[in-house]
Amino acid sequence: MALAAGRGPGEPRRVAYLYILPALLVFGLFVLVPLARTAQFSLYEWNGLGAASWAGLENYRAVFTEPQLRGAFVHALVLVVFYAVIPVTLGLLLAAAMSRAVLRGMGFFRVVLFLPQVIPMVVVAIAWRQIYEPNGPLNDVLRFVGLDALARPWLGDYTWALPSVGIVGTWVGTGLCLVLFLAGMSRVPRELYEAARLDGAGPFREFRAITLPSLRGELAVALTLTVIAALKTFDLVYVMTSGGPGTETTVPSYQVYNNAFLLGRVGTATALAVVLTLLLFVATVAINRVGERGQR
Amino acid sequence: MTLSITRTRTGLAAAAAVALLIGACAPGSDNDDDASSAPSAGDAATDPSELGDVTLTVWDQEVREGQTEQIEALNAAFEEQYPNITIDRVSRSTDDLRTTLRLALSGDDAPDVVQANNGRPEMGQYVASGLLTPLDGYAEAYGWFDRFPESVRALASYSEDGATFGDGDLYGLPQMGEIVGLYYNKTKLDALGLEPPQTTDDFVAVLQAAQAAGEVPIQFGNSEPWAGIHEFGFIQNQFSDAETIRNLGFGRPGSSWTSEDNVAAADATREWVDAGYFVDGFNGVNYDSAWQAFAQGTGVFFVGGTWLVADLTSAMGDTVGFVLPPAGASGQHLVTGGVSIPWAIPANSDAKEAAAAYIDFITNSEAMTALTEAGNLPVIEADQQTTTGLQSEVFAAWAQAGEEDLLVPYLDYATETFYDTLTVAVQNLMAGQSDTQQFLDTLETEYSAATGS
Amino acid sequence: MMISRGERLANYAVLAVFAVLAVYPVLLILQTALSNDQIGGGGSFHFENFADAWDQGQFGSYLRTSIIVAVLVVGLSTLFSVLAGYAFGTMRFRGSEVLFYVILLGIMVPAEALVIALYFDLRELGLTNTLVAIVMPQVAQSTAFGTFWMRAYFRGSSREVVEAARLDGAGHWTTLWRILVPMGRPALTTMVVLVFMWTWNEFLIPLIMATDESLRTAPLGLAFFQGQYTSGTALLAAGATLVALPVVVLYLFLQRHFIRGMVEGAVK
Repeated sequence: MALAAGRGPGEPRRVAYLYILPALLVFGLFVLVPLARTAQFSLYEWNGLGAASWAGLENYRAVFTEPQLRGAFVHALVLVVFYAVIPVTLGLLLAAAMSRAVLRGMGFFRVVLFLPQVIPMVVVAIAWRQIYEPNGPLNDVLRFVGLDALARPWLGDYTWALPSVGIVGTWVGTGLCLVLFLAGMSRVPRELYEAARLDGAGPFREFRAITLPSLRGELAVALTLTVIAALKTFDLVYVMTSGGPGTETTVPSYQVYNNAFLLGRVGTATALAVVLTLLLFVATVAINRVGERGQR
Repeated sequence: MTLSITRTRTGLAAAAAVALLIGACAPGSDNDDDASSAPSAGDAATDPSELGDVTLTVWDQEVREGQTEQIEALNAAFEEQYPNITIDRVSRSTDDLRTTLRLALSGDDAPDVVQANNGRPEMGQYVASGLLTPLDGYAEAYGWFDRFPESVRALASYSEDGATFGDGDLYGLPQMGEIVGLYYNKTKLDALGLEPPQTTDDFVAVLQAAQAAGEVPIQFGNSEPWAGIHEFGFIQNQFSDAETIRNLGFGRPGSSWTSEDNVAAADATREWVDAGYFVDGFNGVNYDSAWQAFAQGTGVFFVGGTWLVADLTSAMGDTVGFVLPPAGASGQHLVTGGVSIPWAIPANSDAKEAAAAYIDFITNSEAMTALTEAGNLPVIEADQQTTTGLQSEVFAAWAQAGEEDLLVPYLDYATETFYDTLTVAVQNLMAGQSDTQQFLDTLETEYSAATGS
Repeated sequence: MMISRGERLANYAVLAVFAVLAVYPVLLILQTALSNDQIGGGGSFHFENFADAWDQGQFGSYLRTSIIVAVLVVGLSTLFSVLAGYAFGTMRFRGSEVLFYVILLGIMVPAEALVIALYFDLRELGLTNTLVAIVMPQVAQSTAFGTFWMRAYFRGSSREVVEAARLDGAGHWTTLWRILVPMGRPALTTMVVLVFMWTWNEFLIPLIMATDESLRTAPLGLAFFQGQYTSGTALLAAGATLVALPVVVLYLFLQRHFIRGMVEGAVK
């Protein structure tokens, strides 16, 4: 921290403002101003074309009372289970199971497991739509192994459409979690495990006493990434289901778009966006609080 | 178009955005300039070759076989006739057009010609917001009032505030007629030893026979939920009368969704689903997979619009037939339809004259012949065309619908948000997520709120 | 540590299962892309599908827009981030803490909270349907992340090197470009790669900000192609392959940067 200032040429103290000026300018214009305007819009009733009228908190009331809008948030929370909880749990269990060995060829597996993270969501959606087709690979497999009763049009099924979308999130997230946790485990000194084992610790105690605490940091990272991805889901729903069947797979981002640009309810849309932002904020801060406390 | 970003440009944007922030004006408060100035007959130039070099951006949804063929042919002919006009064609599925049109129309840089669904959810909203150009001036100059009968023009006419549908200024012209009838697989029907159904009782008997023979009675795909509007309309046409359906569809007061005949229609829908007349899992099947499955021999019937004629003809040849919906309670073969999605001119277009000339060109007599040859149903002069096979059956049905006054509107025309309400409600009803009562109550609430009845 | 052969095999088996699951959808797309486009037609390896998709889906135009957008976003945000990160990482000035936290806040704000208001304000200025509208919001968001990322690098950079440069008479500007930036190539590469990926895959901002066909980016073009192309799936899969290819190829070459970036830059 002592790096700064000094007596160097050019008086770094003030010239710093010049250095940050472009960033601040673009950030102010395209993040801060729109954010403030979003908050402002959310207090008006406006169809995006004519004149707006003051609505106070009416739009927020709608967000929390209209079943379709509230439903979108409920769906987002369900998606958190699929995007975050399942991949993290799965990743932890697998990483723990593999903690005892130093495996060769990890580089290859890391590349493959991480691949779903980089593919454009639209492409992912198209691939999975095909998998879920009534006569697609998933149903073929189910029929092949004699589970005909389970075969169904996944994305058109009222019970299964949302979990089906969620599974795609699981697919995207699991590799990330596994890669993260394996990397984290490789930093845990082997001796710790040896010592624990000499003390007669079983695998469960080993996991609780060594693995879990040393992975707190990675855990926070994994949860942050996956929870944010879940709450912000848009492309996947836009391409795979358009919110259907009925309104079973609508999510907040989709409703933001739908209300602002199809239904002409700009106020409602911006109120939704504000609530979504706060939700993301709270989730991020909470996860990182827990992560940091763990490191102490 | 700015394909290069320059510092000045960014700087300008920056300065302007700061001004906006400081002004902190309420959204839209200074947005009163009305761009939709209607041309009068006098100043509408009708010779496009005198317009200088123009690039005409056209957004259409002519993506099916016969549709693409006709519009590509007409575009080429137009460009050949008027070398000074270049057409920049952007084609989209009906769904994607719907979800992006509003954004496009309200921008400064709007397309010059668009296909906008004539119902209240689209055209009604756009008219109310001043996003479309009234065409009456052009209509007079080009003689559209003579070319198109009142009944066709009414389907794309609104009062200036968008409140009245069916009367007022003309906002678009359709190219094609459209009815949602019953396609049937002739081979399969022959094998069952049955005739195309004339009444609802006949129809149910065929469905039962088909099912008993191990066939899928009705092929159906409803994952893009608009198909459900057609499917329910097809059933409602057999239980309600024309007057009721027209009131409900056009959003006019005087009828009720909860009337006995509508209860019967919704009940029948549920019963047919429960009886297994529709293909399994239709809510997860998309529309194109559904007609393709029908074309490949899965399904005796397919309830579909005349936009599929070219596709089905190439896939099935003469083994596919088309009839009007069976006659039910009203004793008439009521059929949903009217006109294809009309072509309109955005208020923010900067080439309105050329746009009007284009719309004139694709709806004139030669165009009607050209689109017939590509396998479509022309909205006017259908009786002057020569057709064979499936297309001639469709033309016969269309003629009958005209003569006997059988046309009833698409149900989603009713209110500005009825498309969303109806698609979700039909999906829910057909999936057993809601019962007849809930289904009709949902629709009645919105209908009565909008019509004040 | 010695573990039994069985355990080692089991570990590999688990990894293999998950690896297969991870690549299966990708292989499915590839296989479909090479299948016969005619309904019920046979044969495999129909490479002409790619050419057909390219023509029918206008992927040439979409990919070109995507490249222009990506180059602009990556270029501008990298420049801004390096400058700002340098100041935040090596200089002390009044308000630096507050300003940095404001920028950090920007990393957490979702595009949803910006685009609606931004769209209407830009429309008022006649700037929708321009590259500015697509590029600048993404530059802003990427700059927020980039500043955070580069600040971390500059903080960790060797103080001795900087001092030595100063003694040689190098000013802060020279020090930055002659010494710190070349030394920081790994950190920079990681940032560039991440910003490129986010920009390439972005859907919502280009969906709303531009409706002009010549300004559609590749993911959007693909989504529209899906609705427009009504028979068969081969061309759709071919299009999907074309859209995913650039970012996947880059990933295969620079995978360490992708993984490191995602893992360490998790705040985004």
